[in-house]
Amino acid sequence: MGKPQQLTLKEAVALINDGDFLTFSGFTIWRRPMAFVYEMVRQGKKDLHLFEVNGGTHTEVLAGAGCVKIWESCWVGHELYGKLGEAVARAQVEGTIIVEDYSHAQCVARILAGAYGLPFMPTALSMGTDILNPKYDNLKKAGLRDGSNPKIPLKKYDIIHDTLYDKGEILLMPAVNADWAIIYASQVGDEGTVRMFAHSYVDAETIKAADKVIIIAEEMVPDSYLRQDPDRNIAPGHAIDYIVVQPWGAHPTGSQYYYDVDADFIRTFYAASKTKETFDQWAAEWIFGVSSHEEYLEKLGVNRLQKLRANSVLGYSTSVKRGTR
Amino acid sequence: MAKNYATNYKPVDLLAVAAAREVNDGDVVFAGTGLPMLAILLAQVSHAPNAVCIYEAGTVDGRALDLPTSVGDARCAWQASIAAGLTETFYGQLHSGYVDLGFLGGAEIDKYGNVNTTVVGDYSAPSKRFTGSGGNPDINSFAKRTVFIMVQEKRRFKEHVDYITSPGWRLPKWPSGEIVHRREVFGKFYKGGPTAVITNMGVFRFDDDGIMYLDTVHPGFTPEQVRDNCSFDLNISRCRGETEKPTEEEIYLLYNRVDPEGIFLP
Repeated sequence: MGKPQQLTLKEAVALINDGDFLTFSGFTIWRRPMAFVYEMVRQGKKDLHLFEVNGGTHTEVLAGAGCVKIWESCWVGHELYGKLGEAVARAQVEGTIIVEDYSHAQCVARILAGAYGLPFMPTALSMGTDILNPKYDNLKKAGLRDGSNPKIPLKKYDIIHDTLYDKGEILLMPAVNADWAIIYASQVGDEGTVRMFAHSYVDAETIKAADKVIIIAEEMVPDSYLRQDPDRNIAPGHAIDYIVVQPWGAHPTGSQYYYDVDADFIRTFYAASKTKETFDQWAAEWIFGVSSHEEYLEKLGVNRLQKLRANSVLGYSTSVKRGTR
Repeated sequence: MAKNYATNYKPVDLLAVAAAREVNDGDVVFAGTGLPMLAILLAQVSHAPNAVCIYEAGTVDGRALDLPTSVGDARCAWQASIAAGLTETFYGQLHSGYVDLGFLGGAEIDKYGNVNTTVVGDYSAPSKRFTGSGGNPDINSFAKRTVFIMVQEKRRFKEHVDYITSPGWRLPKWPSGEIVHRREVFGKFYKGGPTAVITNMGVFRFDDDGIMYLDTVHPGFTPEQVRDNCSFDLNISRCRGETEKPTEEEIYLLYNRVDPEGIFLP
């Protein structure tokens, strides 16, 4: 605990060990810690176990680069800019990744339980689906529900009978307490107070549920400024372990009030992600072809970034062409 | 006054308009990205100005100035009454019972309204993976009514879906897997279920046994053609006739108010 430590991106990524259990901030193609993800690929992290309330472009970068061994989530894709998660799909079909499917709200229940120090959270959502089919428990099939890994629950879920109000059967979703939460934040204070703009998603819960938290902040600001409006903050500094200040750290995903989603970049990545060969070519250019996020930004160029820059009142870019008209 | 029906429209326009007509004024609607979003927004600027829209990323009753491209977009948060994240939308709004109507999509559907958005083939050794469930089964679990917007193809309208991602009317009750009525699976939590499926060929509803039937057929198609585009034996005996065409005003609103940039309607 105590005051969070400020690190460079490379130093922070070096803290992650092969096989570690990670969760991320954001939602699909919004506020993902992309700079951190690229650097994990550069540093060759392996066998990562991911729990994600939902996946997105960052998931596909990690899965395509062969960094992921276990993916527990409910969804992966790039919204309008790429309808499938091709790298996860390919790995699941080839059997090189263990996928454990839950529903979106069941994932939220899991991270809520983790955040509040509870072993499980009840939910009545998505009963009667094949998500609950005992035959489809992939972590069990892989022999990983034997208790040897304290981060993997003994069962995918449980069903109990409500003995308090006699409402019948209800599901229990096991807590998630990952080793690391990798959180891209709009602003972080110099004492670690965290603020997100426009949407909070499940970022506050994801921070609380993890053993260690790394903030990748668009900006660092005085904590005294954030403390003028404490109701807009989502986490106190004592919950944060490390801080990396990394402007444009979420590109190509969007960061509300800083920059919009880079749709063309994600479309190009999505096309490349469809085969291993084209993914590798893409990674050679955009991940291994640059040595830092600064170099990546330089390669993107000022004009491209300027176009993505958010209108300071609306929170999104008004200069990108989004449709055909 | 007689309605001024559009003479020139695309299949996707009719889909959006037919879907919008499922919204009652005052409904609390939980909508996904894409056509579901167009449908609720069209309803709000036409016959259902008091409908409330919830997007699962966390915003409630937003009044976007520009069409969001996804539910996590900053545009969704503009003028929202609250923007409180997924815990609020899934548990504070949905699980607590506020939601009247869910607007969803799907890759495959069976005659009981079970929807697959997860895999093709055996889940243990799939030949293809789709995006996964997202919030589809959650919204469909607790909305009082659910409307699915889908593409009509024989391979998508199946006797049995490969994987039940989202619950229809007849479901496995776990852990045994015995197939029972949805009411038995949800018990005292039961609130409703799929009420309509809207495709590029027709509007489908569900009978008392939870089996899909053709309610109306879109102009230009026959009920038999729709049946030929289903892998199961679709009941077309209850077809009431043609789906009401879009009006000139609805088309104008779709292209000028809802999606003027041509994001989902190129």
